[in-house]
Amino acid sequence: MSDFPKTFSESWYRIAGKRVWLRPHVQLQRQFFRGRKWYVVRDAFSNQFYRIRPPAYEFVARLTRTRTVQEVWEACLKRYPDEAPGQQEVIQLLAQLFHANLLQSEDPTDSARLFERYRKRRQKETQSRLVNIMFARLPLLDPDGVLRKALPVLGFLVGPVGALIWLVTFGAALKFGIEHASELVQMTEGVLAPGNLFMLYVALVLIKVLHEFGHGLACRKFGGEVHDMGVMLLIFTPLPYVDASSSWAFRSRWQRILVGGAGILVELFVAAVAMLVWAWTGPGTLHSLAYNLIFVASVSTVLFNGNPLLRYDGYYLLSDLLDIPNLYGQSTQQLRHLLERYVFGNRESESPTPSRGEAAWLVVYGIVSWAYRIVVFGGILLFLGKRYLMLGIIMAVICGVSWVIVPLVRFTRYLASSPQLERVRPRAVSATVGIVAAVVTLVGMVPFPCRYAAPGVAETVQFSVVANETPGYIAEVLAPSGSQVQAGQPLVRLEAPELRFEIAGTETQLERARALRLQALEGSAANLQPIETHIAAVEKRRRHLEVQLDALVVRARHAGLWSAPTLELAMGAWAKRGTELGQVVNTTAFVFKAVVSQQEAARLFGQPIRRVEVRLAGRAGWSMRVTGLDIVPADQTTLPAAALGYSGGGSVAVDASDRSGVRTKEPFFLVRAAFSPAPEVVLRHGRSGRMRFEFNPEPLMQQWSRKLRQVIQKRYQQA
Amino acid sequence: MTIPSLGYRRTDIVAPKELVTGLDAVADRMAGRWRRRDAILRELLAEAEQVDRLAAEWQHVSDRRLQDRLAEFREVFRRANRAQQDAALREALAAIREASERQLGLRPFVVQLAGTLALHRGYLAEMATGEGKTLTAGLAGVLAGWTRQPCHIVTVNDYLAERDTGWLRPLYRFCGVRVGCVLAPMDPRQRRENYDQDVTYTTSKELVADFLRDRLVLGPWYDGARRHLRHMLQPRQALDGYLVLRGLHTAIVDEADSVLVDEAVTPLIICRQEENVPLREACRVAQQIAAKLERNLHYETNLRYKDVTLKPSGEVLIEQECEALPGIWRGPRRRLELVKQAITAREFFQREFQYVVHEGKIVIVDEFTGRMLPGRTWREGLHQAVEAKEGMDPTAPSETLARISFQRFFRLCARLSGMTGTASEGAGEFWHIYHLPVIAIPTNRPCQRTVLPDRVFADAASKWSAVADTILALHQDDVPVLVGTRSIRASEELAARLAEHGVEFRVLNAIRHQEEAQIIAEAGHPGRITIATNMAGRGTDIRLAPGVAEHRGLHVIATERHEAGRIDRQLFGRCARQGDPGTVHAFVSLEDELIRRFIPRAVVRTLVAALRSGQPGADRLARLAFRRAQYAAQRLAFRQRQQVLKTDTWIDDALAFAGSNRYM
Repeated sequence: MSDFPKTFSESWYRIAGKRVWLRPHVQLQRQFFRGRKWYVVRDAFSNQFYRIRPPAYEFVARLTRTRTVQEVWEACLKRYPDEAPGQQEVIQLLAQLFHANLLQSEDPTDSARLFERYRKRRQKETQSRLVNIMFARLPLLDPDGVLRKALPVLGFLVGPVGALIWLVTFGAALKFGIEHASELVQMTEGVLAPGNLFMLYVALVLIKVLHEFGHGLACRKFGGEVHDMGVMLLIFTPLPYVDASSSWAFRSRWQRILVGGAGILVELFVAAVAMLVWAWTGPGTLHSLAYNLIFVASVSTVLFNGNPLLRYDGYYLLSDLLDIPNLYGQSTQQLRHLLERYVFGNRESESPTPSRGEAAWLVVYGIVSWAYRIVVFGGILLFLGKRYLMLGIIMAVICGVSWVIVPLVRFTRYLASSPQLERVRPRAVSATVGIVAAVVTLVGMVPFPCRYAAPGVAETVQFSVVANETPGYIAEVLAPSGSQVQAGQPLVRLEAPELRFEIAGTETQLERARALRLQALEGSAANLQPIETHIAAVEKRRRHLEVQLDALVVRARHAGLWSAPTLELAMGAWAKRGTELGQVVNTTAFVFKAVVSQQEAARLFGQPIRRVEVRLAGRAGWSMRVTGLDIVPADQTTLPAAALGYSGGGSVAVDASDRSGVRTKEPFFLVRAAFSPAPEVVLRHGRSGRMRFEFNPEPLMQQWSRKLRQVIQKRYQQA
Repeated sequence: MTIPSLGYRRTDIVAPKELVTGLDAVADRMAGRWRRRDAILRELLAEAEQVDRLAAEWQHVSDRRLQDRLAEFREVFRRANRAQQDAALREALAAIREASERQLGLRPFVVQLAGTLALHRGYLAEMATGEGKTLTAGLAGVLAGWTRQPCHIVTVNDYLAERDTGWLRPLYRFCGVRVGCVLAPMDPRQRRENYDQDVTYTTSKELVADFLRDRLVLGPWYDGARRHLRHMLQPRQALDGYLVLRGLHTAIVDEADSVLVDEAVTPLIICRQEENVPLREACRVAQQIAAKLERNLHYETNLRYKDVTLKPSGEVLIEQECEALPGIWRGPRRRLELVKQAITAREFFQREFQYVVHEGKIVIVDEFTGRMLPGRTWREGLHQAVEAKEGMDPTAPSETLARISFQRFFRLCARLSGMTGTASEGAGEFWHIYHLPVIAIPTNRPCQRTVLPDRVFADAASKWSAVADTILALHQDDVPVLVGTRSIRASEELAARLAEHGVEFRVLNAIRHQEEAQIIAEAGHPGRITIATNMAGRGTDIRLAPGVAEHRGLHVIATERHEAGRIDRQLFGRCARQGDPGTVHAFVSLEDELIRRFIPRAVVRTLVAALRSGQPGADRLARLAFRRAQYAAQRLAFRQRQQVLKTDTWIDDALAFAGSNRYM
């Protein structure tokens, strides 16, 4: 039957004559969210919050020991004929308040039922602890007393004085930081080194304790109670936490924002002080600790605390800044509403908010945070899996259950039996099946272009290093660098005065020897033989020197582009024999050498390749067709250029211990390809780029599963 | 003197298990299948055969000796020792059987013994009409009565409760079981006396109402232990003296599918009239405004879910109408609610379908049986809206004091069992909600019912003329005919049509129910035509006049298919009882409500076209559509019942602070 519902309820008689009222410790606080009035009901004992609309507040506030629910409801109805909650709503409201243990009743309560509920709640808590095992919390102590005592001493920090101190310190540190930016960046390399991890952790704990005290102090300053502090296991790293949620009841939004942001402010302040310390100390433990503090404070602020997509400080800050409480919950609701309303066609589905702007925020936040979570948790899983194989698998199973199977089961149940979908179930089911079918078809059946890109470098076929064979001073550049030269064309002229002296010396020797020979012809013929030998030797030496002299003019061995960009600077400098003066590169014929990982090689050898093309870095818009492909069948470990390796900024993992940066961690296959150059692309020897192989189109599913297999294989082979 | 345990037991209720969901539900469903597997019936029948053989030994035992032995069995059953009870069961049953033969002159058949065993073991026994359900329940009643635990045998009406008690009393007395019956006119003292007997015959209405009244008396002191403490501290404020029930334990429900499924969500309400002038006035005004709205222009109706959606134009019109009105008409929420209710009353609550006007009052008609339900009202406001629609002065709404649905009540019984002619269709539900496995007890003599395939018509007019023709043809052949209609109006229309042909017939419906017994007694006479709403379906035993059985027996014509196949089967069960011959024939049209509500219009149009053009296989398709519609209807009904139970349970849980109201 239809649900008219709201004003009257069939179960009303059960509470109509009861007298119930709020427990004395319950606090009601008015708050405004986006201009709409709300009341926050706070249970001071358990520090739990409930948000209710003014009509519900009007009802709740009227509950007393002396009036029955019926009387209160009638009074409300009289005063607010239209807004007053209907009987059904009253029942729900009271049930909710009772569940939260905020209601007191004149009747003896059903204690068995209470115990049953307690048992269920405990069970749920245990369950959620298991599900959120990555973020387990262990409450340890009650910091309220300490904070209360600290307040007279440190309270001034939460205020203009504190702000001033903060600004000055932070400003000074910022200036300093910018000045020494390069040093700071350079030092990051050593941060994650095993030797520094302990220091890093000490810094982390130190800064987090201060961070949490920041929250606590700010909260206490504005009158909120802080009763819970303990250790949170953030991905198995114990870190302190404090529960400052009593600030949610603050009426002023800015106070809430300040409490939420206090942690980050403290962290930044600590980082600023550490920066100054770092600047004033020389290398040593203090210096290193200061540096670690700076690092932790900045990284954790950017990645975790300040990030509104994770449920840390940034989330609550954003929530307060946007003035949308329960941002995450509401955005999930909103997405579900959109699904129900527009995909399933349930016209009765209601958005959690009447405001368009808020709805837009909710949608954006919902989508972005989901995407982000998937990426971050995926990353964490991979990271864990890489380090600890077993742990990674266990976590993957737990996450798979709680993020894939449980939602799937829930969604199926929702689809099958949710009362909201009662009317539109056929459409909801068919829409879901349709979407799933479409996705499956798209992913599993429709072939998509399948490509693989391998990094590589372009090399000329002909290439020579121009070097001088004769040492000399560089005297003249005969062909300007960058010009096309012909074979045999002089490029550089060197001066070698010693050579000329030597030649002159040999001349003299020769003349003397010739004179001696004439003497010998006339005199003792027996001496003739050695003199002849001598002359021959000197002549030979002269010819040799002349060749050397000739070689002072360095010529191109083959036609090509003469490239000697730094030669001009070296004018007049002494060039030893074999000094590299420049290069002559034949620009008409190039090959591209690509590095193909082992995992991909099988496909490359086995599958028909539809097309191969080369794109160079910086000119990726022009693709150049490969005319001939030649796969070197043996695996290699030396890269054709250091630019392809990690240390050269490339994407191939190289052996860190190798200084040259060309020895790879894993063997790879080299693919050599001749390609027809595009006129727009200026080819240079050694220019890096990618070689793209296009295979026969394949469904995405197949492509992804192969990639996943490769990743897993790669990860766990090393483990 | 108060015996603490007695006082404790009066109100001790084992909380029913929560409905299982998710994977548990799947496992539970499989467990249900297992509990009603075929082997169970074979075992029961084999056991009954054994009892039958044992009974021979008792034939020569003297009355005195038999009674002594029965008293010994009673002692065994009083001790709650399962093993001893099981060991003695067969022999005890054989002895009871002998007692039945001596005291009532009836020797229970083997199938009745099997039925008794099924009831004793907590099954829902499906037994056809005329198979002796009363005696079956009686034997099970003796077994239950011996335990001295409260045992209630729930009958359909007061008449049956009284009749069965009177008829079975000698058997019970002989077996050492005290029996009583509680009827509507009894006062609390009499009720208490009768409930104090070992076995009490009563109707579900009386039983549930007494339960609720007891709960009202108890208030917050429903817990036995607490009450006892209070009694010790303040002896004057003893409540136990005001309670009538002895507690809940065993319940044997006759026509279980009617009580546990069809009526499951019908709440039984204890209420008092209260004056609420604003509501009465509001209903009148709402009716006036609703009269100005037109369907499809201002609002849309959903036949399947029986509700109304207002269009923007409708809302605007209502707003205009309300401008000059005071108070609750100012804000949109309440006024839309009230007007919607008035429209609902007009669109879905039709005179002579859902209610009749009897002695200037609205009387609700049970949609399943076609009986009037005097004293029952629709929920808050709707009743007044219907009254306003009929131009009556809206009666004062009643203030509910206590309320429970049959569904929830019978879940409180520790040992529930039941009997009905039609249970198999709801086997899943019986198990899911009550954990009652269904078992179909075969008939004593083979059934000789011929079921003719349904005749499907494209429109109602051709259906009715075919029905009339068939009736006339059978009348010519001197075959008695029972025609079942769904609504009172349909029965009256058919009557008018037959009157044109000048044949004699009798009509049995909620308006003309005075001569019911007379009409039923004569329905089996040759050539008799009886038109009845579904009220003739349940519990009426139409005996054939001499010679009719030799001829062709009773011919039953159903003029419409009901939402639940069970209800159809109930009607069909009127013929071919106890091995007599009989014929069943259903006439349906594609304009029937069942089709209109549950089959998409496009499909119906195609079917109509196919039927009109006489395409081969069209009627088979149409029959399929009917089966589909019945399936959808039953599924929807089940969902709604389940939802009600869920809501009730939630409320029970959520309103635990109003502790005194548990289970009411």
